[in-house]
Amino acid sequence: MEDIKFFDCNCRLGLPMNGGRCAADTAALIAELNYAGVEKALVRHTNTDVAIYFSNDLVTNWVKADTENRLTGVWTILPSQCHELPEPDEFFNSFKANRIGAITLYPQEHRYVPCRLTLGKILDAAAERKVPVLLNGFAGQWTALYNFMKEFPDITCIYVEKGGKWGSDRNIRPLLENYAGFHFETAGYWVPEGLRDLADEFGAEKIIYGSNFPSYNHGNGMLQLKHCGLSADKVAMIAGQNLENLLKGAQL
Amino acid sequence: MSFWSEKGSIAEQCWKNGHPDFPVYDMHGHMGGHYAIYFNRCEPAAVVEHMKRAGVKHLVFSHHYALWEPTFRNERVYEMCREFPEHLRFYVAINPHYPEHIKEDLAQFDRWQPYVVGIKMLAGYHQVNVTDKKYEYALSFANERGIPVLNHTWGGRGHYNDGPSMLQIVQKYPNAIFFHGHSIFGDYEYAEKVVKESSGKSYLELTAVCGENEMIERFCSLVGSEKLLYGTDMPWFDEFQGIGGIVAAKISDTDKRNILCDNVERILGKEW
Repeated sequence: MEDIKFFDCNCRLGLPMNGGRCAADTAALIAELNYAGVEKALVRHTNTDVAIYFSNDLVTNWVKADTENRLTGVWTILPSQCHELPEPDEFFNSFKANRIGAITLYPQEHRYVPCRLTLGKILDAAAERKVPVLLNGFAGQWTALYNFMKEFPDITCIYVEKGGKWGSDRNIRPLLENYAGFHFETAGYWVPEGLRDLADEFGAEKIIYGSNFPSYNHGNGMLQLKHCGLSADKVAMIAGQNLENLLKGAQL
Repeated sequence: MSFWSEKGSIAEQCWKNGHPDFPVYDMHGHMGGHYAIYFNRCEPAAVVEHMKRAGVKHLVFSHHYALWEPTFRNERVYEMCREFPEHLRFYVAINPHYPEHIKEDLAQFDRWQPYVVGIKMLAGYHQVNVTDKKYEYALSFANERGIPVLNHTWGGRGHYNDGPSMLQIVQKYPNAIFFHGHSIFGDYEYAEKVVKESSGKSYLELTAVCGENEMIERFCSLVGSEKLLYGTDMPWFDEFQGIGGIVAAKISDTDKRNILCDNVERILGKEW
């Protein structure tokens, strides 16, 4: 299966607060990636929603422990006014050295309103640098996501599902149609040959493979993508090239 | 080397060809549109095309409308299956609020052969517990004939198709063959009980489980792969995704084949 290079954009690492399925550390995750034949992964801490201060540092350390350069880290952002993170320039300038490639946010768990007042400084800086923003914190929260996209229409972002398995076309398609930087991640989108339909209508460059590991295994989505009916070139784009291009396109 | 590359394995066959070298049986499907979701492929012709690509020999389904819309009767589902005799089979959709429909439809069971396989109950949506008297006629019918009964089941307690309720009907109707749709999702205690404390004709069906990390491994450990059946809720879930979820599980090829094919052939035979 080495004909397709997979780069997983939806992968979590670390011990969950309440136990359960996990890859505890870098070695465990690399073993899983090897088992499934996934070349690279964009990783965030499984506990980021409840342990933000600790989790950004842990992600940094896990990425450093990956000597094969297969992991790229995701850091979590917070509103600027409480000074819990460095100023945007300092924050993003430290990404390259730490192999951090994207950011994420959890407005509900971290209890703030995701708008220009709270996040304008940092998300404008992210948009300017084309740093991808993972929208896993909005999974299934369509009204909040729609409001967020109105506030920040110029960001480069990837909508990432959490546990939903029902195809959410009625909510996803308007976002794909209206926001050039909006991308859709595949885990949990189990609609029969739906990936082909989305790619045909909105472009294969808007779709990005993700596993939602450790909740899901890697293989189910890999086989779904491989045989969704798209050309090999487009399958390869979704499997890994699109994410690679987004990360390389970030000005860090 | 990944598991996809193991020479001669089911995973390798699926990766290269889209399907294994044996027939796959999808024992939990639907047909037609549904109010809560957009489907591009939900009518028989499109569904059958998808099945054929994935090597699915038979899909056994209950039509969405037959479950949700009382004026849409199972006779129409029978007619649909007749248009695709090689691939489509159906469950008689049972709505407990229309007992006369149940009797009328089950009276056609013999005439609807070989397309009809069993009955389908959707207690959580019809809001009548599976143990209620309103199901007695249908369940007694299944018990007398030893035919499959597919239930929508889910974890948690105190609802219409929870583990304790399923255990009651499994034990009350020991000759019926129970397929527990979604494997009483999340309730491992009762998933194990409904199999082990039954007469031996109780199976966990894996719709929505396929792809869940480590769950199939756990079910194999709890009840054995001989008691697991493959399903997708087609047209909700993609066949390749579902089969991918099975072949990616860390179980043997014998287990995978049991789930995708052999168990069904042991229950229903090879020609049905």
